[in-house]
Amino acid sequence: MKTNALAMLSRDLPGLFVLAAIALAAGVLVNQFREQPLPLISLSKAARLEKAVAKVEAATPTVPASPTPPAAAAEVREIDLAEFRRLLAEPQALAVDARPEIFHRLGHVPGALALPRDDFETYYQKHRTKLEGYKNQLLLIYCQTSTCEDSHLVSNALTRLGYTQLAIFTGGWNQWTQQRLAEEK
Amino acid sequence: MMASILGNRWLLMGLRLVVGGVFIYAGVLKFQGPLAFADSIASFQLLPAELINLLALTLPPFEIAVGVLLVAGLQGRLAAFGVLVLCGVFAFAIGSALLRGIEVDCGCFGGGAPSVWKMWGSLGRDLLLAAATWLIYRAAILKMALPEQLNEGARAA
Repeated sequence: MKTNALAMLSRDLPGLFVLAAIALAAGVLVNQFREQPLPLISLSKAARLEKAVAKVEAATPTVPASPTPPAAAAEVREIDLAEFRRLLAEPQALAVDARPEIFHRLGHVPGALALPRDDFETYYQKHRTKLEGYKNQLLLIYCQTSTCEDSHLVSNALTRLGYTQLAIFTGGWNQWTQQRLAEEK
Repeated sequence: MMASILGNRWLLMGLRLVVGGVFIYAGVLKFQGPLAFADSIASFQLLPAELINLLALTLPPFEIAVGVLLVAGLQGRLAAFGVLVLCGVFAFAIGSALLRGIEVDCGCFGGGAPSVWKMWGSLGRDLLLAAATWLIYRAAILKMALPEQLNEGARAA
């Protein structure tokens, strides 16, 4: 048999490059017609959230736009499940779900407000009235797992918007469901 | 015996439909959420920012294309080669993340929560798909080589 690996590669690689070029062209073309086109250069989650916060600030003349969080907003602490449950029972605390909205819809901590990191501006505006009632009260933020960064990013965003009492439930939704605690849908 | 089982046309057709179907499904899911897929690619910490979104835009149509070609039985060798390359790239990315201790969601079928167990599962699924695709690719190579062998035989006679 004359065929060998190199001969096969020389036959198949050009076709593969053509297919990849067509896929690239199709992907970029379709992207132009999306409601929210993906920029060609990737932005980190933190940078995208920063932009969303800037838009929220710009839409709120009463909130001064500041690149650094106010000094009074230093209190962001991490809490475990027991403390999260204890604080949830207090009337002046509100749970905030930083996961993508689809996960919130599938199930969340009872009473938690959806404030997804990946659509922060939309949901902040949607819940603005309720959220701003908690500017100086406790917000309990959680995301999916103990390693997810969404709760920390949303906490930073809220700090920048002037929220002063924030706590991050580090166990996240995974720990909540592992303990078979009540869910709301 | 084993060669005839592995080269059975009904088995190969079944494999083409399964592998092609998986890639069409995965491609369509990623195509619907390019931002989540770009975030998944970024979480592997392998590519510079300039390439992440381009890959997120290119890969879904590429997966759909090779999947459709496999299912339709058109350009089967090229499509199988494309799937093999994709499986190799995915295995490298997931394997390197596991070695570096980075917990990611592979983004293989849209977004999800990062988990080491899911990463091992994705790696296993990837290797199974690669093995199935190798059978399809090998059969296409043998089919192509057969006329050459017959010609050589005729010349020798």
